[in-house]
Amino acid sequence: MLFDDSLADVSWADRISLFRWALAAAFAAGIACPIAGVFLAVRRTSFQGIALPQFATAGVVFGFVLLPWWIEHIGLGDVSAADALSGSHAAMNYHLAWAAAFTFAGLAALVWTGRRSHGSEIGRVAAAFAIANAATYLFGRLSPIGKGHADELLTGEVLGVGLHEFETLAVVLGAALLAFVWFHRDLVLVSYDRETARVLAKRAGSFELLLNVIIGLVVAVGTMTLGPTMLFGLLVLPPLAARSWSRSMTQYFVFAGGFGALAVLLGVVISFELDLPLGASVVAAAALTLLPGFAAARR
Amino acid sequence: MTSLLRLEHAAFGYAGRTVVADVNLDVESGAFLGIVGPNGAGKTTLFRGILGLIPPLAGRVERAHGAVGYVPQRETLDPIFPLTVEEVVHMGAYGRLKGWRSLPRAERDLAQASLARVGLGDSARTAFSALSGGQRQRVLIARALMMRPRLLLLDEPTSGVDRGAEAHILELLLELNREQGLAILLVSHQIGMVRDAVQGCLWVADGKVQAGDARTLLAPERLDELYAAHGGEER
Repeated sequence: MLFDDSLADVSWADRISLFRWALAAAFAAGIACPIAGVFLAVRRTSFQGIALPQFATAGVVFGFVLLPWWIEHIGLGDVSAADALSGSHAAMNYHLAWAAAFTFAGLAALVWTGRRSHGSEIGRVAAAFAIANAATYLFGRLSPIGKGHADELLTGEVLGVGLHEFETLAVVLGAALLAFVWFHRDLVLVSYDRETARVLAKRAGSFELLLNVIIGLVVAVGTMTLGPTMLFGLLVLPPLAARSWSRSMTQYFVFAGGFGALAVLLGVVISFELDLPLGASVVAAAALTLLPGFAAARR
Repeated sequence: MTSLLRLEHAAFGYAGRTVVADVNLDVESGAFLGIVGPNGAGKTTLFRGILGLIPPLAGRVERAHGAVGYVPQRETLDPIFPLTVEEVVHMGAYGRLKGWRSLPRAERDLAQASLARVGLGDSARTAFSALSGGQRQRVLIARALMMRPRLLLLDEPTSGVDRGAEAHILELLLELNREQGLAILLVSHQIGMVRDAVQGCLWVADGKVQAGDARTLLAPERLDELYAAHGGEER
């Protein structure tokens, strides 16, 4: 826990000031991840929202395993092994590269096996999750520091996020949001009716690749910064909550981002008031946003 | 007459394996044609080849640039997308749009006119998934009209709709054909409907295509011969 008894008396303003980068990162992810999650939901691939962050986690831990060798033989700017663990930009980029590489490898495997119809979608994603989970622990045995980092990510204790992590997250999520806004029409068309997209001379394969790259980057940087627990929740729960209230695709994107931001806001309150990990608190809050939709559906 | 689609000794298939071969076809403006045949005979393969979704394995396929409007089978469209009728119809203009900017006024007017043309002018804000099967089919025709086509290609347009909706869709297609000179090519397994509606037809069976006048080629006694030649599959 970051909050011990001595911090319980810290004012809200001071807490916000102290953890401003973590809170900014959480809100940025709260808006961007659910929008990526909408595409996972409408393409009926939400389970990938569970498997892909696990691949990213395995990638981060693998990066730690390789880190001493990498610094000695390839180098990481002028960063030493000790500095590489302190959250410098060079280290962030190094870990992001491994998280992205593993995420894209997992995504490519899921897409490739899906096209060859190897088993059901759920079965393939479950198998992918099992493999990525096992890989995380195996790599963790080779790098206790990496294992410790992964455990911290899994706990969802994200208040330690600093300026460097926030900047990396902001750049990637900003680029992802820009791409979603710029290409939203084509991405929706290709997801909804691929054949018509092709008849309209749209490069369906290129747009699907773009969508996978965006989702892969969002998952990689989100996992590395905020951890898989919070990312699972933000990719899956706000889109689910938003679906109940959306009467158009435009509303779906706006509401998903809105529910994500609301979940982060509620999660911060829960975390600060009850002294609980922020990531898990955000997921719990996101689950609460489902309730009005379920209640309305029962009427 | 302008040729909108021409196939010369075209063959189509998958992974190098030919499914239909030696197809010759010339579709001119104002034509109304149907593709029919037994299940698994290659209708869909031929249709996908005509649409340009699969390349020809042999021969030539020529389509007039930007002339095609496509109406897919509505069952292939997932209701999980919370799309309004308007959003679905707007997709027909996506081939002309680039970037994020909103749909220009002229395109919105064309969408409204297309919806009015299919009798759903008041349903723009309705959820697409909330419509009946026949209404959804008409929305997809409106979307195809947004593509500003001269040739309309429809995949099983009356499959799974009731008799009333089927008559309504056929009446709409006949009007578009007669009044706007829109060429129409539809694929269907409903032989009676095709015989009554279209001028000419392509009978696809055993990898071969026969072309002819619909009423002659699909006359009941002729059909018995065709099905017997295919192996006696029931109609």
